[in-house]
Amino acid sequence: MNGYVEAGYVVGLGTLAAYAASLAVRERAARRRVGAGPAGTPFVAGTSHARVPGPDGAAGPEPVTGAPPDPASGDRR
Amino acid sequence: MSLTTTPTTRATAAAGAGRTGADRPGNGAPGARAAKVEGRRGRRRSDVALTAVGVCALVGVLVTVWLGLWVTPPDRFMGNLVRLLYIHPSIAWVMYICYGVAFLSSLAYLWPRTRSLRFDKLAGASSEVGVVFTGLTLVTGSIWGRPTWGTWWTWDPLLTTTALLFVLYLGYLAVRRIPGEPEVCAKRSAIAAIVAFVDVPICYFSVLWWKSLHQPPSIADPVTGKTYIHGSMAWTLLLSFVSFTLVYVWLVARRYRLFVLAEREGDEGLALALAERRAESREAQA
Repeated sequence: MNGYVEAGYVVGLGTLAAYAASLAVRERAARRRVGAGPAGTPFVAGTSHARVPGPDGAAGPEPVTGAPPDPASGDRR
Repeated sequence: MSLTTTPTTRATAAAGAGRTGADRPGNGAPGARAAKVEGRRGRRRSDVALTAVGVCALVGVLVTVWLGLWVTPPDRFMGNLVRLLYIHPSIAWVMYICYGVAFLSSLAYLWPRTRSLRFDKLAGASSEVGVVFTGLTLVTGSIWGRPTWGTWWTWDPLLTTTALLFVLYLGYLAVRRIPGEPEVCAKRSAIAAIVAFVDVPICYFSVLWWKSLHQPPSIADPVTGKTYIHGSMAWTLLLSFVSFTLVYVWLVARRYRLFVLAEREGDEGLALALAERRAESREAQA
């Protein structure tokens, strides 16, 4: 066909795909750190699911919460 | 105040911060539980809607590529190079949408009656996506310009103002990262977004205002509405505009969620640090 045409499509769509994938990966990582709370709900102080890493780099104590894991959100607690 | 903790204080603090069930303030209340359930339902609904938009966008882009590369005929003058124009104008169109949304969101934030950090997050998300689309507009335009104009780059008014847009909104993203109180940061960012938006109409109308190497609007006559492209070419271009707009919606929604999660992460970190400090002071008193 034409090298320029293929290059344009590869660069354009490839960049968008890479950016979309990076957003999905970052959201997944952030959700894991926060503890898979609903994205649209306001934060309520005292209901933290966060785990604090210890000085030796090991994960802190398991979060003690009443909320069960949400399989639909990819929560693998 | 030190933020380092010993394992003992950390365990005590975690026990304080993560109290279970009824003894946690507010959590045992039926209202809080109902809000949590409602929030989870809301998120599932938004997940379904976002997935639907993502699937439609992906299918639309794939069909555009198929039509653009294999179905539509070559142009009489440009030959196969016309196929690049099934993605380049659509990407540029989304770039304008991005900055338009960021401008309106920033105005909404600055307007006292509609002031909400949601608008700040929307402006940030839309601008970041806009920078990606501006970069792609410049690159795909350059790839088209090399065989058509004989050069990768020229200081044409449209190209120059588009490059300026790219730099201005990179600056806006840098302004957003300056630390400070959320309201102060949001106000500063909103003003920066409004200032940067001044270049958008200059960029759009530059092909009409100055003698430009870049062609003026060539899809339809802005006055009479008469279209210059027909048949499969017109449908492919229309599908491309719709598909890339859906891609924009999906990307902005994803980026907005990241802002929400980052905010919550900050809040939770602060709450946990406060709980740790309280536990430390209790231990010191005992």
